[in-house]
Amino acid sequence: MAEPEEAMISCRVCGAGIRDRALHFGETLRCRRCHEVVKASGRGHLLHVAWALATTGMILCVLSNVYPILEFNVAGNTQSNRIMTGVQGLAGQGYWPVALLVFFCAVAAPFLYFAAVWYVAGSVCMGQRWPFVGLVARVAERVAPWSLVPVFAIACMVSVVKLDLLGKVTWEAGIWWVGLLAACSFALTQVFDREFAAKRLGGLP
Amino acid sequence: MTDATRLELSRALVVAGAILYIPANVLPVMTMTVAGDVEPLTVMGGVQELYDSGLPAVAGIVFLASIVVPLLKLVCLSWMLLLQDTDILRLQRTAALRILHQIGTWSMIDIFLLSVLTAVGQLGILASVRAEPGGLFFAIVLLCTLFAADFYKPHLIWREATT
Repeated sequence: MAEPEEAMISCRVCGAGIRDRALHFGETLRCRRCHEVVKASGRGHLLHVAWALATTGMILCVLSNVYPILEFNVAGNTQSNRIMTGVQGLAGQGYWPVALLVFFCAVAAPFLYFAAVWYVAGSVCMGQRWPFVGLVARVAERVAPWSLVPVFAIACMVSVVKLDLLGKVTWEAGIWWVGLLAACSFALTQVFDREFAAKRLGGLP
Repeated sequence: MTDATRLELSRALVVAGAILYIPANVLPVMTMTVAGDVEPLTVMGGVQELYDSGLPAVAGIVFLASIVVPLLKLVCLSWMLLLQDTDILRLQRTAALRILHQIGTWSMIDIFLLSVLTAVGQLGILASVRAEPGGLFFAIVLLCTLFAADFYKPHLIWREATT
């Protein structure tokens, strides 16, 4: 007997038809032709976790920007470093496009991503369609690849190795906040299911 | 944005990235001054310095992120764009594009490294780090590859199959 038409899903990548079926917890349904995930189960209930992580992330964003990351000492002269010190240094040397890129990827995009996820997840968790939530969901999707705190954290580690060859480097409190922010950012990208959130938003008043 | 525009933009960005990849790697990214000793460093020079200092693992990470990943992105994107509208290795191309999206941003390590070193290296003759034009070219190459990969959506690989 032929399957009913509503039981088929079209793959958004290659357009192939895939027979829909109920999935077990954590299971994914992949397109047979291009292997794209067309349906996933199990991350929906994690929107509360995403909301909590986004809240934590926004607080960590502030802390990691307020506290110095490391202190560099050469012959008794010290220089401490916040995330913004590098941005200001690059801009001051006339490399403002590079400064802007660092500012966007290490400061603005992470905060914007956490704030956007907070708003979308909050709207779904509270069961209310908050104003402009569709637009904010698109912002979250667009800025996610530019939120590069984990890469920044690795760059801090490498810079310390490099600076250690020139002088004395001391970690400051800010590095812990940057590390936690990187972990929080990574965890949020794993638990926040934008498509599930969009589906739930569609059903909200 | 239409598929044709996406392809045009992606092609233009890959060509621009490939051209700028040369000055990005030839010109110094930064100049380090330590106790009056001035040392200009290219991307590869920074890797070499880490390796010579007995830190091969760190040098390996920076080499992969700063040299291999941008080059791999340019080569892979060129390969995909050349095979556009053919049915050759579609599955492999889709998988390669997914990998590119995952690893692409790791090239930013070098730009962040420049930022952190510039921040602490403001101790005048004792120790200072100045950004150099290579850093700007490197940042533009990264942006070109990131946007080219972003414009080139996986459905474009399967375009013929769906029409």
